[in-house]
Amino acid sequence: MTKLTTLADAVASIPSGSHVALSGFAITRCNMAFAREVIRQGINRLTLSQCVGAMEADLLVGAGAVDHYIYGGGSLDRFGRLAWVNRGIEDGTLVAEEYSSLSIAFRYLAGSLGLPFIPIRSLAASDLMKRLQEQDASQIATINDPFTGDQWLALKPLLPDVSIVQVQVADAEGNAWIAGPRWDNAEQVRASKRAIVIAEEIVSTEVIRREPERTVIPGFLVSHVVELPFGAHPTSVYRCYDYDAEQIEAYVEAQKTRESFRAYLDRYVYGVKDHWEYLERVGGMKRLSTLRADSILGY
Amino acid sequence: MNLDYTSSELMAVAGARELEDHQVVAVGLGLPVVATFLAKLTHAPNMTILFELGVIDPEPIATGVGLADPRVWYRAKVLSDFVDILGAIVHKGRVDVGFLGGLEVDLYGNVNTTLVGDPRGKFRHMTGSGGANDIASSAHKTILIMRHETRKLKQAVSFITSPGYVDGGDGRRRAGLLGDPSRVITDKAIFGFDPTTKQMTLLSIHPNTTLEEVLQNMGFAPRVPEHVPFTEPPTAEQLRLIREQIDPGGMYLG
Repeated sequence: MTKLTTLADAVASIPSGSHVALSGFAITRCNMAFAREVIRQGINRLTLSQCVGAMEADLLVGAGAVDHYIYGGGSLDRFGRLAWVNRGIEDGTLVAEEYSSLSIAFRYLAGSLGLPFIPIRSLAASDLMKRLQEQDASQIATINDPFTGDQWLALKPLLPDVSIVQVQVADAEGNAWIAGPRWDNAEQVRASKRAIVIAEEIVSTEVIRREPERTVIPGFLVSHVVELPFGAHPTSVYRCYDYDAEQIEAYVEAQKTRESFRAYLDRYVYGVKDHWEYLERVGGMKRLSTLRADSILGY
Repeated sequence: MNLDYTSSELMAVAGARELEDHQVVAVGLGLPVVATFLAKLTHAPNMTILFELGVIDPEPIATGVGLADPRVWYRAKVLSDFVDILGAIVHKGRVDVGFLGGLEVDLYGNVNTTLVGDPRGKFRHMTGSGGANDIASSAHKTILIMRHETRKLKQAVSFITSPGYVDGGDGRRRAGLLGDPSRVITDKAIFGFDPTTKQMTLLSIHPNTTLEEVLQNMGFAPRVPEHVPFTEPPTAEQLRLIREQIDPGGMYLG
């Protein structure tokens, strides 16, 4: 069954107030086109989660679409900070539950396995744990190992309403290949009620069947499939294209003030009708073809 | 070859010296990457290098802007995920050395990478943990590399992102954490920890600095043994590898 649709249609399936798991890591495989469409459609009051905070989350927070962010810390690597996430935490306008990378991965893992909780050694004796307990004492508990009596921290499963996952290749059913490291994406998709796959390239199911060991996401977990070349731009997609340093620098510059950010949104989000107009706005094929990955290097 | 070296080069070399062949090393970005690749290219060719997001033993030929840059995944032996690296290797207790950077560290080796300022008042929020808390909680040994400044080496850090010896003594064991902080390498000195009190202890000071300069630029008084040697300077070969092979663009050491 084909689930191929437009980005606008896939995004419209997400009600305001949903919990959305994001597939980005800092500045790679970020759900950038997705985030721009969420902002254009005015979807808001979102809860976002991911192991390492990434550019799509910062854009959504900066545009006022997010109430709650569950993450393990993050940055734009050497380009800069998650300035809107950080400001939201500093002035209290963003409710951030801040963990470590593994504690979020374990919460997705517990969600993916249908477990009621998961024990972990991380977070013990840290202020991350103290702060989480102060925010909501019901989020972290201590339990005794029923076999040895040893004390452990226990985390709740994360159960997002929908996972958005940026992949290299998928078929129309949503069977999807991820090349390169997958960080938390496999567990995110399995912990969520459903997934939206955004693929650089759509292939026939016959292609998937010939190398099924590459499939990270089984199609039956997927509600919508969108074919969207350069869907992660200006972040990278391994083996497809490199990050666009000029455009990430433009974003970092725009983060500086409310006014400069509004101008950025007007130019690259509100000022374009869809992803295709966005790609023209950032320089079209002439610019994008310079970002194409070398087949040996992967970047 | 210019044998004058920068303080960053000395820190990287000092970090490399702490690593042994056949160890499994979980690495945070920046100077720890330079130190780890330097060790692998010299005395520790059989070391296993891990990046948290799912990368084992890469051989980059270009310097990346961070762990999210495919340049640092190049020629990896394994590309997997967080549950594999931070779970089945780090949390399982298979990591010999966790090699991290920090914003602030205290007397007991507790590290802050979350915020600068007063967590109950005005503060500036920074990167946070990533995998640092996970690595510091479960690695057999943790090595920290950071700048030597009074505002960074503090009696008490503003926020404990990654615990060291917690409140000293057996505080770390009582919290259920594995392993121990082992070294703090700054641009002026190398520190270890007292086996009983777990307070930071001066091990060596770098050439071209003095004991007074080391102590004046700290927010607490470390234990100082009667005899403090100078840190061994880099060799010509170590400098060549750093400048020509590991960080030719000066991204980390520039």
